[in-house]
Amino acid sequence: MVGERGWRKTGWVLLFLLPSLSGLAVFSLTPIVASLGLTLFDWDLLTPPRFIGLDNFAELFASDDFWAALGHTLYFITGYIPLVLVLALGLALILNQKLRGIMLYRAAFYLPVVSAWVAVALLWKWIFNPKFGLVNYLLGLIGIVGPGWLFDPNWAMPAIILTSVWKDIGFVMVMFLAGLQGIPADYYEAAAIDGADRWQSFWNITRPLLAPTTFFALIISLINSFQVFDQVWIMSGGGPAGATTVLVEQIVKNAFSYSRMGYASALSWVLFLLVFAATAVQMRLQQTWVAYE
Amino acid sequence: MSELRVSLTRSLAYALLTVAALFMVVPFVWMVSTSLKTDQFVLSMPPQFIPDPATFESYTRLAELFPIGRMVFNSLLAAVVTTLGQIVTCAMAAYAFSRMKFRGSNLLFLLYLATLMVPQQVTITPLFILLRYLGWINSYAGLIAPGVFSAFGTFLLRQFFLSLPRELEEAAFLDGASHWTVFTRVIVPLARPAFATLAVFAFMGSWNAFLWPLFVVRDPELMTLPVGLATLHGRYLTEWNLVMAGSVIAVVPMLIVYLFAQRYFVQGVVLSGIKG
Amino acid sequence: MNVKWYRFSLVSAALALVAGACAPAATPVVVENTVEVPVTQIVEVPVEVTAQPDPTAAPEPVTLTYFTFSAAPDHLDHLDAMITAFEATHPNVTIEVETAPFNEYFTKLQTLIAGGTAPDIFELNYENFVSYASKGVLLDLSSQSAGDASFAADVYYPRAYDAFSLNGMQLGLPATFSTVVMFYNKALFDQAGLDYPTSDWTWADAVAAGQQINDPAAGVYGLYSPTQFWEFYKKAAQNDCEFFNADKTEATINSPQCVEALQTMVNFVQTDKVMPSDADMGGVSDGDLFKSGKLGMIVTGIWMFSAFEDAGFEWDIVVEPGLKNQATHFFANGVSVFAATQHPQEAWEWAKFFTSSPEAATIRVEAGWELPAVSDTAVFDSYLQQTPPANRQAVLDSLNFAIVPPVIERQSEMQDAVNKLLDQVKLGQLTPQEALDQAKLEIEALLK
Repeated sequence: MVGERGWRKTGWVLLFLLPSLSGLAVFSLTPIVASLGLTLFDWDLLTPPRFIGLDNFAELFASDDFWAALGHTLYFITGYIPLVLVLALGLALILNQKLRGIMLYRAAFYLPVVSAWVAVALLWKWIFNPKFGLVNYLLGLIGIVGPGWLFDPNWAMPAIILTSVWKDIGFVMVMFLAGLQGIPADYYEAAAIDGADRWQSFWNITRPLLAPTTFFALIISLINSFQVFDQVWIMSGGGPAGATTVLVEQIVKNAFSYSRMGYASALSWVLFLLVFAATAVQMRLQQTWVAYE
Repeated sequence: MSELRVSLTRSLAYALLTVAALFMVVPFVWMVSTSLKTDQFVLSMPPQFIPDPATFESYTRLAELFPIGRMVFNSLLAAVVTTLGQIVTCAMAAYAFSRMKFRGSNLLFLLYLATLMVPQQVTITPLFILLRYLGWINSYAGLIAPGVFSAFGTFLLRQFFLSLPRELEEAAFLDGASHWTVFTRVIVPLARPAFATLAVFAFMGSWNAFLWPLFVVRDPELMTLPVGLATLHGRYLTEWNLVMAGSVIAVVPMLIVYLFAQRYFVQGVVLSGIKG
Repeated sequence: MNVKWYRFSLVSAALALVAGACAPAATPVVVENTVEVPVTQIVEVPVEVTAQPDPTAAPEPVTLTYFTFSAAPDHLDHLDAMITAFEATHPNVTIEVETAPFNEYFTKLQTLIAGGTAPDIFELNYENFVSYASKGVLLDLSSQSAGDASFAADVYYPRAYDAFSLNGMQLGLPATFSTVVMFYNKALFDQAGLDYPTSDWTWADAVAAGQQINDPAAGVYGLYSPTQFWEFYKKAAQNDCEFFNADKTEATINSPQCVEALQTMVNFVQTDKVMPSDADMGGVSDGDLFKSGKLGMIVTGIWMFSAFEDAGFEWDIVVEPGLKNQATHFFANGVSVFAATQHPQEAWEWAKFFTSSPEAATIRVEAGWELPAVSDTAVFDSYLQQTPPANRQAVLDSLNFAIVPPVIERQSEMQDAVNKLLDQVKLGQLTPQEALDQAKLEIEALLK
């Protein structure tokens, strides 16, 4: 690239990075490193921390609750990520066109994102109500007896996944919309002149040029879904009989309800390593499908 | 393809889109309708969509119970400062990550992402102790500062910057422009849709923030909207009509910001003018 | 050694963890230092420091922070009224109120203490009191009460006063209580031609009546008493079951009496079929079901009075039925003083005033802000005259059978573990015996 070399270049890099890097170092990295230190302690916040070495990790890996929560978290991710990404992309493509009333449609799909989880969850509990809920009513019309959803250990997680997809679709859609804005209109015009149909221009222009955004949406959804908590807590409380307990729920309970800050930190760091590994893998993989300019 | 078929497909698409949109809007409508109901015990099943009788009592009660004006002011102040701060700090960092090659940039970027991966619940106590040493507990500085720096925003802008063609700045560099000139004159003007998107997310994040404001604020004068409204969930009972009224109040500013930001979402960047 | 040192040690230990980023080797050293100081010693310190106030000196202005979950948002005005009354007689003291919602209250309190910015006085419910009491962060009020001629412990309802002591130390004063009673729908009883429940009913009587009221086709059920920790420990006590032995070294939660009590609860749904299952409820709350007239009897707290006030039918309350004995829920909130407060004497004055003064008690009763935990029943006169329910006396009668919940230091973990097992019983994954055998193992692990 064109530009400066040596110290001058380093100076520019520092200048651009300094505001954000110093802020993150103080307000994010320091507490994170402190939480790493806490993994080696038994601390109830009220009495002085007690050094216990790696005991927290030993307990964690021997705990059935941890493995169950990990399994449920991975289940959630597997169901949630493909659904939310594909649906949001489709929606963004539709809503990126010049349609009449496009602002209203975009607002409608964004409403669930800004609505409070408590309100959303209450209504979805009704939609999934085994007796007089909407879903089982519709299933009944085609002759299927619907399951107990949130009251059935096998169906509670699918219900939570569907609700989450519904809630987050607008969030991911907005990311894709922003990405679509970055694609120069000239490219489509040129393609149209060359006689490309819609599919061809999607495949040859949109797909590669949207790849950086798709990658962003994937990573962010991945990080967020590893930390799934609110909807689980409000919709099922981890139940029935622990069928939907997830990692962050374990972390919250241990940190705040059980006053086991050290153990909660250990759980968090195991979660961190998992997310970090998943992200690093995606960073590697992107080289095969994300081409930057 | 005949004209008729085109318009039929179009109508069908509209119909499908409308049904889907309604499906998204219903919970919000229900929130509004519940906030207009009289009884605090309003969660009847199946839900009742038309309040009977309808009343604004919940809103007036909220105004009696809380210094709503003050809470909205605090939340707005935090959200606006956070949003502006994030746009500036994230844009600069994103420029470095996307337009400059430097050793360790990938590693540093992973470190940025790492800050998103540790749940807030375990970092909040160390952060509280840290801010106590800074003397920022129970102050606007303590409330706002930790939210101004965002790895999420940096990532978002970085990806957008990466998708902008390189030729754009090469001409400028040949003319002897500095990085700062390229950043402010070439990249920033083109990145409006990305800034609009970040503004929407940053505002929403700050506006909805609950745990940190709950910890750092002790004086009721500094209380933000979510912290105040959380007290409506009582130990034994929740006054749902008040909760819903509070939620409606909370949603409106986020929608306004969103609709405003949407003005920058017009199809495609126009490069022809810049290439010159 | 002084009080400030205590605060400092906590904070520095915590900060050492932060600093541990750069120098991990230093961390254990700091912590060792703090461990050398037994916490109980620290607790006594502030008492010595301030034991002899100079009566001739003009009192210095003192600002105290009072942290509460029960005041916001509905009762802040009433709290202000109490503070005004207090400050009138204590002109040098200013009380600053800080609030948090119940769900987040203890999270914030822990952090304030860990951060060395603890409030001087704070509200604690009984279950959490036990956790805090054993950690040495609460001031033993015994010396204050001994030195206070105007104080008499018998102003409090005795069971409530005793609940806030531990190992001979008075670590809090009881402020309020609530009881749990049985509400019943008079209209449904009339319709079925049944006599109304009386205070000597057993659960067998309730089930028999419930079966008459039952009409699943119309969505009407006889009774509701949820299968969870709180209802279970109570029915267990009604059936002579104890969760653990006296010195809490062994869990006895799988004794035949306990299994039988749980079986009774499970039968409500599974064999008696007088109670809706969770799936039958489908997310509707039990209170909602009762209020919509579809439940004959419900066991719940007296805080539901206001919610049921405008129900479209007549209802009343009665002391909850028993099994072999009667036993009822007793929820108590108290206030405690932070061990390292700089103003123990003033904090004591406020705690005493807030919990037991006639002024505060009157404001409380009139505001309907729970019930003061005082022994003088005349305070409740105006409360008892309100209707509904007509039989408000049952609120106080229930106190005769009041038991406190089984509490251990790791309370929340025990509750969650038991609730999860009860869930599995409800789903038919475990029998009551299997669930309680498992509960014994899990509770004993927590007792260690």
